[in-house]
Amino acid sequence: MKEISTGPSESQLIRLAADGDARAIRQLYDRYSPRVYAVVRRIAGDDDLAQDYAQEAWIRAIRALPTFRGDARFSTWLHRIAVNAALQALRKSETRKKREGPVPEQVPVAPRGGDALLQQRLERALDELPYGMRRVLILHDVEGYTHEEIGDTLGVTSGTSKSQLFKARAKMRDMLTALDGAAQESGAEAWSI
Amino acid sequence: MEHLNTEILARLVDQTPQPEEAAHIAECEACSAELEAIRSQTDALRSLPEIRAPQGDWHGLEARLRSEGLMNDPGRFRRIGLAQTPGWMRAAAAAVLFLSGAGAGALLTSPEAPESLGDLAMPSSAATFATSTSVEAAATAVRVAEQNYVAAITRYQQLLISESGVEAGSDPMSRMAALEYLATVSQAAVRQAPGDPYLNGFLVSVLGEREATAQLVASRSNWY
Repeated sequence: MKEISTGPSESQLIRLAADGDARAIRQLYDRYSPRVYAVVRRIAGDDDLAQDYAQEAWIRAIRALPTFRGDARFSTWLHRIAVNAALQALRKSETRKKREGPVPEQVPVAPRGGDALLQQRLERALDELPYGMRRVLILHDVEGYTHEEIGDTLGVTSGTSKSQLFKARAKMRDMLTALDGAAQESGAEAWSI
Repeated sequence: MEHLNTEILARLVDQTPQPEEAAHIAECEACSAELEAIRSQTDALRSLPEIRAPQGDWHGLEARLRSEGLMNDPGRFRRIGLAQTPGWMRAAAAAVLFLSGAGAGALLTSPEAPESLGDLAMPSSAATFATSTSVEAAATAVRVAEQNYVAAITRYQQLLISESGVEAGSDPMSRMAALEYLATVSQAAVRQAPGDPYLNGFLVSVLGEREATAQLVASRSNWY
């Protein structure tokens, strides 16, 4: 995470934000919202849900700020809250919210280099993955959780996490191959891994 | 020769293959290519960028944070050091707020009205404040509320002077504090009588004055 060299330190910001300071909260939000939004968006698989989950994550985080002791990095702490908020929110709903329109062609992505077309297709394939597979794939392959951490977070064994991950990777591979084939048929630029 | 299925290949991205699996991959060009493709897919997932939150996301969050009392007004109190406001000043402000509230009349006119409020107590006519049944009675109640409000503010000013020994408003900091409290109380008063031109005019003046003082304070000390 890029650090800001001027202005208050992160610990100062956190202390002020814990006390309800609007400017400090806004600065934390500006600094970390892309990361928070990214993880909840991928877990949600849906833009509308993602906005709700992101808001819930921030509310929980600001509410819990007075308990933040700095044992872990703030970004890590916040990230865990975001993941848990999104997963719990998804669990609460009996079924995933049905999309009313077509899957967005592209999620607004903060450019960080790399292959934009590849990123679009990965995001699209992630959205299409079944929920159980998607959350494990996101936590492991995107967010870097270990299987033990996933097990703790999701309340499953690490063996189940591994099994879901391998299924998810295989499913992703199939979907990306299909997307690539469709792109080639329509004459669009193909992506092949 | 039977190929390895995709799930097995997906496992081999980060796990050591069994001897027979390794032997197969070494000999099978298709499986080797497929494993490489899944590895690339996994690497690409690790490199996915952050996602910018949609426009307006902050405003929704801000509104909710405020409604849940998790966020204060843009830091004015802390910026000018009022987080250390003495308890008696907070108590005075709370008393002013209380006196301007709709429930004040009933309590203050009851036989058990707390004597500790002393000079701040309002006349019993304030009891009509929330029980008016006609426009005329409501207008009278508004006038009484205004008088009580002014009396409370005056008393508050006296307390400020007597307790601190400093003329309130003689420096931008204490003036800001007084204006902040006035703005809060005025807003409460306007909520009680939203159509009242005097209260609205007073509120506008207070807000304007508060803004000007905030700028003065900000120009003297940089926050952060």
